[in-house]
Amino acid sequence: MERFIADLVKSFESGKIDRRQFCETVALATTVYAAGSAAEAAPARGLKMLGVNHISYACSDYKVARDWYAKVFNTKIYNDKGMGRANLAFGGPEPGKGGAFIITRNFGANEKPAGAVVDHVCYTVANWDDTRVNNALKAAGTNPTGRKGSVNVYDPFGYQVQIASIDGENPFI
Amino acid sequence: MFGFAATKLNEFEQGKISRRQLIETITLAATAVGAAESAHAAPAQVGVTAAAVNHVSYTCPDFKKAADWYSKVFNLDQIDPKATEVTLPFGKKGEQPYNVTAKDVPLTFLIMRTRDLNAPPANGAAPRPKATNVVNHMAYTVADFDSARVQAQLKALGVENIRATGANAIHMTDAFGYDVEICGLANSALTDGA
Repeated sequence: MERFIADLVKSFESGKIDRRQFCETVALATTVYAAGSAAEAAPARGLKMLGVNHISYACSDYKVARDWYAKVFNTKIYNDKGMGRANLAFGGPEPGKGGAFIITRNFGANEKPAGAVVDHVCYTVANWDDTRVNNALKAAGTNPTGRKGSVNVYDPFGYQVQIASIDGENPFI
Repeated sequence: MFGFAATKLNEFEQGKISRRQLIETITLAATAVGAAESAHAAPAQVGVTAAAVNHVSYTCPDFKKAADWYSKVFNLDQIDPKATEVTLPFGKKGEQPYNVTAKDVPLTFLIMRTRDLNAPPANGAAPRPKATNVVNHMAYTVADFDSARVQAQLKALGVENIRATGANAIHMTDAFGYDVEICGLANSALTDGA
């Protein structure tokens, strides 16, 4: 800022800018500077979470996972170019609404284990009926076990998949 | 149905019910039985339709540390704390999940846990199989996504390993080195990997 003002004074003194231009420029520079300082001084705030965008599922054969999730969850398949990955969408996707989907992909060359693991993901089924859900999962070739309002199945890679109703899994009940 | 019709016909012939009552009774019974048989004969639904992700179960050596990281970065409350886990819903009680119209779908939530995944189930259930896949990252949609601004926010929050991967996504690592991606609304199954 000091350097900027010094240059401005120099311009004024040399006649490159008049008094009015000098004052206007100083005023504008002050406003911009104050805004920048305020932004820097603002407390760090977190982001507004809307939902899960996607689940990145890596395995030895993405096609096996793709076909299983497509069958069990009636998902649509997008962007499968035979290049080791495919997107499986729950509903939609409607452009501009974020979407919710699983990416099944082959293991990458540089998969590094983290110090944490997502050991299962649970999905909500609306208009829940225990008998209907269990029959539908059995018809899809799975062996559901569980309780009223919540069942578990294992996918072809031994990964736990939970399916629940609003009563079966609800953070506020 | 045959016996029921015969009975009603007898009642009509004996003058116990009128012609109109005979017709109405048999029509109603036939309709009800037919509907039930039709439903019974319908093929079973194959697979289910997920309305939303219900929850993500995250296991790590220190669930409190993980929960604090996600609370800080995503402004999530921590509720229902237990000895080895805590829940972080994506909103307040009574709020509707984003982009879900069904009224019986709860807010998505994270469960941060510390537990031995190889331990036998306490209820005597079959042991969990050893999974051969890995969910190598989770991606979350955030509001008002602007890559440059969000990167600055994350940096101010002390988030590590921030990497923009295109205009609609930023990767980072959480408190346990787990890969977390955040996306704007523009990122969908149509656009990702296109």
